[in-house]
Amino acid sequence: MSPIRTAHARTSRGPAALAAPSRRSFLVAVAAGLGSSAVLSGCVGSGGTESAPAGGGGASGGGGLVLQNSIQDEGPKAALTTLVEEYTAEPVTMNSVATEQFRAQLSTYLTSPNPPDVISWYAGSVANTYADQGLLLDVSDLWTGDGACASFPPALKALSTSGDDAQIFVPTNYYWWSIFYKKSAFEKWGVTPPETWDEFIALCEDLQGQGVIPLTNGIGTTPWMASGWFDYLDLRVNGAQYHRELLAGEHAFTDPEVVAVMDRYAEILPFFHPDQASWDNQQAAVPFVQDEAAMYLIGAFLTNYVPEDQLDDLDFFSVPVIDPSIPSAEEAPTDGFFASAGTADPEGTKAFLSYLASAESQAQWIAESGSANLPTNPDVDTSGFSPLVQKGIALLAGTEEITQFFNRDSSDALQTTADTALTQFIANPGDVQQILEQWQQAAEAVWSS
Amino acid sequence: MTTSAPPASVATAPAQPPARRPRRTGRSPWFHVVMVPFTVLWLLPLAFIVVLAFRSFDDVASRGIGALPASFTLDAFTEAVTRGDLGRALLNSGIVTVITVVLSLVLASWAAFALARFRIPFRRTVLLVMLAGNLLPPQILLVPVSRITQSLGLYDSLAALVVVQVGFGLGFYTFVLHGFVRNLPQEVFEAALIDGAGTLRTYRSIVLPLTRPALAALAALATTWVFNDLIWAMTVLRTETRFPITAALLNLQGGYSTSWNVLAAGCLLAALPTALVFFAFQKHFVSGLLVGSDK
Amino acid sequence: MTVLERTPGRSGPRSGSGAGSDPAAARRPGPRLRAARRVPPLVWAFLLVPLAVEMFWVFWPALNSFSLSFTRWRGVGPAEPVGWANYQRMLDDPVFATALVNNVVWVVGFGGLSVAGGLALAVALNRPGRGVGVYRSAIYLPMVISLAVTGLFWRVLYQPDGLVDRVLTPVGLGGTAWLANPDTALYAVLVAAVWRQVGYIMVLYLAGLKGVDASLEEAAAVDGANAWQRFWRIVVPQLRGVSTVVFAVTVIDSLRTFDIVWAMTRGGPYNQTQLLSTYMFQQSFSLVDLGYGSALAVVIFLLAIGFIITYLVRQARAED
Repeated sequence: MSPIRTAHARTSRGPAALAAPSRRSFLVAVAAGLGSSAVLSGCVGSGGTESAPAGGGGASGGGGLVLQNSIQDEGPKAALTTLVEEYTAEPVTMNSVATEQFRAQLSTYLTSPNPPDVISWYAGSVANTYADQGLLLDVSDLWTGDGACASFPPALKALSTSGDDAQIFVPTNYYWWSIFYKKSAFEKWGVTPPETWDEFIALCEDLQGQGVIPLTNGIGTTPWMASGWFDYLDLRVNGAQYHRELLAGEHAFTDPEVVAVMDRYAEILPFFHPDQASWDNQQAAVPFVQDEAAMYLIGAFLTNYVPEDQLDDLDFFSVPVIDPSIPSAEEAPTDGFFASAGTADPEGTKAFLSYLASAESQAQWIAESGSANLPTNPDVDTSGFSPLVQKGIALLAGTEEITQFFNRDSSDALQTTADTALTQFIANPGDVQQILEQWQQAAEAVWSS
Repeated sequence: MTTSAPPASVATAPAQPPARRPRRTGRSPWFHVVMVPFTVLWLLPLAFIVVLAFRSFDDVASRGIGALPASFTLDAFTEAVTRGDLGRALLNSGIVTVITVVLSLVLASWAAFALARFRIPFRRTVLLVMLAGNLLPPQILLVPVSRITQSLGLYDSLAALVVVQVGFGLGFYTFVLHGFVRNLPQEVFEAALIDGAGTLRTYRSIVLPLTRPALAALAALATTWVFNDLIWAMTVLRTETRFPITAALLNLQGGYSTSWNVLAAGCLLAALPTALVFFAFQKHFVSGLLVGSDK
Repeated sequence: MTVLERTPGRSGPRSGSGAGSDPAAARRPGPRLRAARRVPPLVWAFLLVPLAVEMFWVFWPALNSFSLSFTRWRGVGPAEPVGWANYQRMLDDPVFATALVNNVVWVVGFGGLSVAGGLALAVALNRPGRGVGVYRSAIYLPMVISLAVTGLFWRVLYQPDGLVDRVLTPVGLGGTAWLANPDTALYAVLVAAVWRQVGYIMVLYLAGLKGVDASLEEAAAVDGANAWQRFWRIVVPQLRGVSTVVFAVTVIDSLRTFDIVWAMTRGGPYNQTQLLSTYMFQQSFSLVDLGYGSALAVVIFLLAIGFIITYLVRQARAED
């Protein structure tokens, strides 16, 4: 269909075996397999030596690259496809894999003797695990001199740096979390965005009095959505510093600080849509779109859920201040790419990464994807972006602290403990003490492993 | 256990249906009174998918997936075919399914013949061990299997998908066919032996024709399994152009947002081939087939 | 049962089941006996080729995985041996306990309902008649949709004010958040899984019923046995062969159930619908704790083996 799809020069040695699917060739293949048991001795868990660069399919430079990505949403995927097609230096095969499967296969990809050259992922714990194993390409040269990432903000550089002080990640976009609402709906109900926590509670009560459900959320198959509120309440009550330390295991979930967060959470629980536990985060957008529910704390990817004619109606405000003495903080998860240490063509890979990180590419990607993502490259001209995105940029520029999200700031394993604890808390807020104790127990198991 | 009627009748007159049961008086009128609403209820979830496939995205986004339709469009089907590249995915699935099913049944019928008709030491144990292979939760084989395909240079090829699925299905197919072959009438084999037929000829001229109904039934079952497989495909493939239909469908599901109407349309298109295979083989299922008629 | 053994019209005594014995051959010494003692080389090839394929692609990777269950391994780097630690961890893991109990509920519920439903439908739809073909096809139809997709759509059907809610409201069962309520979630998933499985079991039993000797039933009817007695005493015993296949399929499918639960609940709300298979997937692939995941897989495997061996041994005894 498109040139990029057909250009899979490096990975196309497989089907040859299928070209003659006769019984005989099959038997030969099996016999070969049985005979070569030496290849197999200790086929798993025997260390990282197999992952050493094996020269790939013999291609070196100019032979084409493979971009493995988990971007599934229609707009962003189409925009990335266009970007890749327009890359002229060498052909790039782009493979999109559903996120969950992608996550499951990630270590296979990276330890493969012929790994995909560039892989989409996010900054944070997982990337660091692989970096520690030496599986990720050191892209530090892109971050110095006139490298493509040299002008990126220091916070992003810190996020992209592994344990041994090398940069292993190229961030290309990020997005913000906030409480979204519809301007027309707020007008209809005669309410305005709140500035303080008390105003927020008053707003919720007012809406509830009018028969409107103040908050929606979808914690069914996307239980991690419950952590959005936990993160923000912790950031507002205890601040970003405490939040990071808590996630790193330096505090306990049974601490009075966390109990205070849960008290705030309990305070707003009556305002949530009663069906939130039945929905995923996309289904939860439907009552929002229909003006049945007023507000939604979610990432800017909310724009993907809303019918096109309502996009201009969207607006947001930051989670209101609870304690003015705490420095302001926002959540801004960062996405981008890393490269395999085993790539056959490190220079070509870096050139392609530079292309993806460049101001032009980022601007084009954001414009075409129709998403509300923000560029990581400060040279991108943002004046043409929608007012919503402009406001998002201003929000992040004006905040003192930036965190990502619960799982990215800790680990997927800790996220699982949070999902269990928080969904249980939402169902039975009275059991908070017992729930926090169990959470702490589960978290300790994660930290100690 | 069963009567010998079906295999015997197949042997003498393959077209003959099995022992005819005497005609009885018609069903109670209550039969349809119960079955009609039951069937309607049974098909409701499928009807829901069909209706969803003809709705537009904005209709779904603004009124909810569960709402009654307020739009009618074929857009979802066009989008599923173009965006998901379902055509190629269907072709990949077709190739893999046909080769896998044929290879599996050939190998399984060999093993079943050997185990059922010859005094192979520990044949019962061998059969159980082969069946046991099917009891393994496939998820646990994923990591080793992908490493093995890599070390053989088969990783990321349809051939890998075929061999893996052949290996994984063999136990069950052999188990079922073994029951069937063992129940074939002894006389036929004796006659073949007196004729001086060798193993190969016995297999070709007796075992294969006589087990045809069982092979047809297994072929239909195997087709639904292999065609609907996702987990092996994700394990041994990584190039999108080689993905089978199940993986392509999964890609239609967004990471953050799902176009439910497109997913529904894609899922209907993906279900068509298995439905067709089933209806083509239905006769074999119902007329005189005895899957594993005796163990 | 014993009467049936001597029914005329059968092709001689049933093949025996004791290892190494073959009553048919033993009682009729003839050319076959001599031939059977000497297994031709080609027959060995017939057996060994498929066996080798399965050994290589199933048992070899399985052994690898089983050995991983004694290690801690993150998918990359060397695996660190930890002895029985992963198994000890199960003992104090509350989620494992939930998953184990759920799995028992699942095997009994999913297996029981789909076998009972499939058999009942097969009996009801066995005789040809007007509309029977349509009913059969309709009941089989869900099988053509893959499990993952079935789960996706059933999740939508179960949402508040979804289709299920609308159908059940007139009978007074509306207003339940089926998948969000920990008391109902597992059963709600079970219904969806059974919906897809029943047609398949029905087809197997329909095939089996074709081999049932109708004259026996007639004779019993003449003797005054009622329909229920005829079914249990005459039809069911004759279905034993197909029942073995159904049993194997059911145990395999119910212990392997994964996609549909994952698509509908991800094991939630708060792990209340976790099965061993979903928990294993979560540990192995979402959290990349392959050591513990492998240990969970070993438990699943042992359970499956336990069920099947028990059944086959009981059957073998009944035959002897």
